[in-house]
Amino acid sequence: METLNYTLDKTEKKSLIRQIWDLAGRSTFIKLGVFIMLIFGGMAVLSPIWIQINPAIYDPIIGVDLSVNGSVGPSFKHPLGTDDIGKDLFSQLLRGSQVAFILGIMVSLISTTLGTTIGLFAGYYGKISDTLLMRLADIILTVPILPLLIVISGIFGTQSNWIILLILSFTFWPVTARVIRAQTLSLRERPFIESAKVSGISNTRIIVKHLAPNVLPIAFYYLTVTVTGAILVEAGLSFLGFGDPSNMSWGMMLQWCFVKGYVFKAPYWMIPPGLCISLLSFSFYLIGVGLEEIVNPRLKKR
Amino acid sequence: MGKYIIGRIVQIIITFFIVISIIFLMFRVMPSDPSSFLLTPSMTAEAKQTIRKQFGLDEPIAVQYVIYLKNFIHGDFGNSFYSGRPVMSIIMEKMLNTIFLSTTAVILSYLIGIFIGKAIAWKRGSKAEKFFVILGLWFYTTFTPWLGIMFLWIFAFKLKWFPLGGMITPEKWIFDPSLFEKICDLGHHLILPLITYVVLWFGSYLLLMRNSMLETLKEDYILTARAKGLKEKVIKNRHAARNAMLPIVTAFAISISFSIAGAVLIETIFSWPGIGRTIVEATLRQDYPLVQGAFAVITMVVLLANFAADIAYSYLDPRITY
Repeated sequence: METLNYTLDKTEKKSLIRQIWDLAGRSTFIKLGVFIMLIFGGMAVLSPIWIQINPAIYDPIIGVDLSVNGSVGPSFKHPLGTDDIGKDLFSQLLRGSQVAFILGIMVSLISTTLGTTIGLFAGYYGKISDTLLMRLADIILTVPILPLLIVISGIFGTQSNWIILLILSFTFWPVTARVIRAQTLSLRERPFIESAKVSGISNTRIIVKHLAPNVLPIAFYYLTVTVTGAILVEAGLSFLGFGDPSNMSWGMMLQWCFVKGYVFKAPYWMIPPGLCISLLSFSFYLIGVGLEEIVNPRLKKR
Repeated sequence: MGKYIIGRIVQIIITFFIVISIIFLMFRVMPSDPSSFLLTPSMTAEAKQTIRKQFGLDEPIAVQYVIYLKNFIHGDFGNSFYSGRPVMSIIMEKMLNTIFLSTTAVILSYLIGIFIGKAIAWKRGSKAEKFFVILGLWFYTTFTPWLGIMFLWIFAFKLKWFPLGGMITPEKWIFDPSLFEKICDLGHHLILPLITYVVLWFGSYLLLMRNSMLETLKEDYILTARAKGLKEKVIKNRHAARNAMLPIVTAFAISISFSIAGAVLIETIFSWPGIGRTIVEATLRQDYPLVQGAFAVITMVVLLANFAADIAYSYLDPRITY
């Protein structure tokens, strides 16, 4: 099938980024991923507007509809129904989208930037800095993240999303760093880097101007798949009851449904949050795989 | 090779040392005194002191650290605050349950993933390939507890085919049933969590196998095999698939550490008495010795699994020399 066959041409005048952009428009995976992502983006934007209709009822944290008794199913007033104390589930779902987006994208931006920088640095300079940084990466990679976060919440109490965001960012970078380093190691030996060195420009300039643009396509791939990882870990943590208590997230919605014993009684409460977590993670991963098909020449059609 | 193995063992020891030191530090700087859970205001000062001494909390922090390390090396994690049993014996028991469930699941998803991955790589560009890639991706990114709950809802609650949770039915085991009945009961409880695991995991093996297979098919020896006029099936299974499976051995080890996170969630949903559920429950009960021990053992298992995979990889692929 034509859509699975892409070619990146390094000799072409257009930049690599530009070429990826052009090819992305032809990838079914990327198109599907972006489509799903946009729906959730819309939900995140809708969240404050929906609350404004009637903050006393629709605020996802403090709003309560006193006229309902117990958890009720979908109605005109509550498109997804309410939870056991009369809170609007739709507004919780919208807020969840916002939280997932911010957390996922922030973690991914921080950890991929960190990973790319460290990978470039370790790969280019080599020697002791390489050994130290990669051993550190190995250590972080072996620590199971979800149990670690559980233990941290157990000791220091449940953490705010900002702390969770930071911890995730600092545990996700080694994956990117390792791959970027491997790539840099091979790039370092190429003639164009040799000639750049001979021409006498600084190491920093070589890294920024000549190495970084060549590893960016891989960094893009990790940028998208890390979002998936971050969303799933936060959801898992919230589901187990260790989420940010001052906010609402999809994992927490599912947790309440589970803890209050409504999982089998209220499908309108149980299905949407889990489906949203899975779909949003899926969309970012789809984009990642679509990009991989473009940037990894070895996956090209025979 | 020998030098490499020794180097790796040293690295594992250093990593483990760093991790347990961090655990130690975290438990010392925690806002609440770890002994506050045991001490009640009504206790006499003497009784409080005895308990503190029992848990070694009256020593200076440096001494506590040395004692802590010594106990760790001996596999002594102290006694659980909650049940009073030695932490090590609780962990061993739970770990066995976790390994039983997750190993079965990993092997099954591995076989299914490799089988489908091999087939779709061969049919590169077909509708079937696209379908399985998207299906694999979808389940790979599905939220674990949600899928578990959906399966419970449909197969246990609505259709009543399987029990709602646990590992055995205790009532059946009181009257000492035959071995066959025991196995049946265990199997009955095992199926639903097992299916959840396999559905969630086969996708990652499928994608890996497909990508690895696609890369292998570009190698010169595949061209040679074709030139020799070998049958397609022989090239696919004997030449391509065998080599394509190499990177997946590494993935096997990574999936062990991945499976620990999965175990935490799946065991909670299915009330499976494993290490993942233990760490959640112990944290909620502020049972610190158990949390400490469980986390240390989990990290150790992950480290050893990675080590085993590296060794296996170099053994399977003679091109790798360390």
